[in-house]
Amino acid sequence: MEKNTLTARKSGSITKAIGNYSFILIFLAIFVAYLIINQGATTWSGVMNILRHSAVVGILAFGMGMVIITGGIDLSVGSMLALVGGLTVVVFNNTNNPVITFLFALFAGAMCGLINGVFVGVAKMPAFIVTLSTMLIYRSIAQYYLRTMGLSIYNMEGTLSTYDAIYGFGQAKVFTVPVVGIVLILVTAIMVYVSTMTKFGKRVYAVGSNEKAAHLAGINVTVTRVMVFVVTGVLAGVSAFLLLAMNGSMDPATVGKSYEMYAIAAVVIGGISMSGGKGKLLGVLFGAMSYTIIDKIIASLGLDALINDTIKGSILLVAVLIQMVVPVIRGKLKKTGN
Amino acid sequence: MEMLKMTDISKSFFGVTVLDHVDFSVERGEIHALLGENGAGKSTLMNILAGVYTRDSGQVVFNGKPLEHSSVAATEQAGIAFVHQELNLFNDLKVYENIFLRKEITGALGILNKRAMIEQSHALFQRLGVDIDPCAMVSELETGKKQLLEIAKALHANAELFILDEPTTALNNEEIAHLFAIVRRLKEAGKSFIFISHKMTEIFALADRYTVLRNGKFIHSGAVADTTPMEVTRMMVGERYSEEEAYIQRELGEPILEMEGLCGHGFHNIDLTIRRGEVVGFTGLVGAGISELFQTIFGELPITGGTLRIAGVPITSHNIHKAMLNKVSMIAANRKENSIIPDFTLLENNYVSEHTLSFRHQHISKKKEIAKYEQLRQKLNIKSNSPDDMITALSGGNQQKVILARWLNTQADILLMDNPTQGIDVGAKAEIYRLIQELAQAGKTILVNTLEIPEIQKVADRCVIFYHGDLKAQLERRDISEEAVMLQATNAINTAEVSK
Repeated sequence: MEKNTLTARKSGSITKAIGNYSFILIFLAIFVAYLIINQGATTWSGVMNILRHSAVVGILAFGMGMVIITGGIDLSVGSMLALVGGLTVVVFNNTNNPVITFLFALFAGAMCGLINGVFVGVAKMPAFIVTLSTMLIYRSIAQYYLRTMGLSIYNMEGTLSTYDAIYGFGQAKVFTVPVVGIVLILVTAIMVYVSTMTKFGKRVYAVGSNEKAAHLAGINVTVTRVMVFVVTGVLAGVSAFLLLAMNGSMDPATVGKSYEMYAIAAVVIGGISMSGGKGKLLGVLFGAMSYTIIDKIIASLGLDALINDTIKGSILLVAVLIQMVVPVIRGKLKKTGN
Repeated sequence: MEMLKMTDISKSFFGVTVLDHVDFSVERGEIHALLGENGAGKSTLMNILAGVYTRDSGQVVFNGKPLEHSSVAATEQAGIAFVHQELNLFNDLKVYENIFLRKEITGALGILNKRAMIEQSHALFQRLGVDIDPCAMVSELETGKKQLLEIAKALHANAELFILDEPTTALNNEEIAHLFAIVRRLKEAGKSFIFISHKMTEIFALADRYTVLRNGKFIHSGAVADTTPMEVTRMMVGERYSEEEAYIQRELGEPILEMEGLCGHGFHNIDLTIRRGEVVGFTGLVGAGISELFQTIFGELPITGGTLRIAGVPITSHNIHKAMLNKVSMIAANRKENSIIPDFTLLENNYVSEHTLSFRHQHISKKKEIAKYEQLRQKLNIKSNSPDDMITALSGGNQQKVILARWLNTQADILLMDNPTQGIDVGAKAEIYRLIQELAQAGKTILVNTLEIPEIQKVADRCVIFYHGDLKAQLERRDISEEAVMLQATNAINTAEVSK
């Protein structure tokens, strides 16, 4: 009898761990597939490039993850990338100062996020509607502003003295690890710390778990909601800066298109519940990297890039299916165990 | 003739027996009062009858036919209607649409025959003697009318047995009288009622027979005419009736909470002074305005007039955060909705409020938090394995203790407890009473809002009674009695009594 409950508890904790960290399983499965398909062609720098190419969507997805934990959503992150990136190029071309350029990117992102946050948090409008609106607005402004200048893409002046500093940052490696990838790891570390070890992080979860109770426990729900959108904006600023550092230019018509969807997918694969209150931000890193690897697999198989979203969509479905099914199996095991 | 016969009903949840071989029967054309304290098993028994829960053992026979593992739809079909405390009406539909939901009268091509439905609704209301416009939106009806609409709806569905779960809590005396007249009329027509109420006067005015449950066990059944309120109460509470009180005589401190002509949403002109270390019991019917008063003191609702002083300082602009800085805390009613953060562990639920005060230090030191929680856990005797357990895994009583710990953790001096023993078993209740006394002895000021007068008798120095937003009366500890309180709470002194 005692032995029985013991094994039941053990199997319970294993399935629980699988349920909580299913994102690692999914990531490993995709990664192993990548290694098998690539066979001998896999190189260290190829693997490191996964980090580098996950950075932009990954960093966006961390903001998205926080917003989703509060029970909201931010559809505007892709457009924000275009607008903040575009304006950042203009600032760089006029200042020739990497520090001001970087700080401006953060500031512009924060402002874009603040607009979302005020409508959602203070005016209490549905996040879906607010960010759908700003998704249209931000990209449109980015494109329109470019047109008024008579240009077709936002291009950082290569002739400026500090251009090489920024562009070099985007290509640099430290001990064979791309700096952009290091920034992603750094952001991951900060976001995981903030979400698990700080009072602000717990507040975010509390609001998503039971808004009414959080309010009556003394939490300022409005400020919390505004803050998560501002954080998302700041992270979009970081993403925009990294994107420019990697490419030196950007086309506001295409850059960041569908990135909000990839960010949401990374969050969901990472095990964060769309209804809010549950999930670990660490999963977002693995969710984002999983999608980058799929790009690589498709490239090395020589498949048409148009099949890309079919595979990404299918993986999303399977990932969520696993998250739904594992707790049910766990429940059944518990019952039979007892 | 027996219309309903439930025999040997047992039910347990997660290994806790809530019904233990209970027998219950209702005759045709009778109003049967089902009595017992909260947690006695009344609602479980009724939910089994209505098909919401499945019974573990026992038989249910209705109109001579056994009801087996029935569903809600099947019991409705059989003619049993459960008029819930939380009304099951669709607020955004019209009155007649609610009555005819899933039973719509349709013409060719499935087009709704609205005129027929409206006419039939009209006829139904006339038969019942109620004045409701079939085309009104349900959201626009008063609570009393909604209750009557529920009954009309059940009547339309050919119900023969109505379960009325505390139908009068939200009604004023006039509405109660109206409801009772309709119930009596339907009784004449051969319908039966199971009447769940805590108000002795109503039971003795309306019911023919009664059944008492206590701790999930059948205690007694008999004719109302052969008993007295005293006897019934004794049956309901059992030996604890004579049990010694939790109350401890204390010295009271300086005034800490002063209200002068205080007005807010749902209450007006409250003059009241409460002293440090005092335990004040507040009571009144639903709609009395006590919850609103508590929420106003806690900064959740605005002050619309008069003055409120906390520890001598007049409160001008007010919100929850400021109230917390003034060392005010509130254990809200409806624990599940308003207190529990379901995705949080015990530890997280415990520290969440204190962290809004100490937000300048953002880092959480788990070790220190666990140490603080462990102290509170021992003090409040919270039964749990690990601070990392989810709060939803605890019993209601232990959950409530975690919420109490949450507020003690903020070093609050004033504790507003809105219906703190809601959905808590008898043992845990006694512990909460003991804690209230201990906290008061340690200098905390505690305001308790409850519908249960014995609760006030156990813990309070003073009883404050509200009626429709007014402070109706204050009783000193020695004067608190069930009759005295109910007389004031129902405003029976000023209005005609509900009688036959």
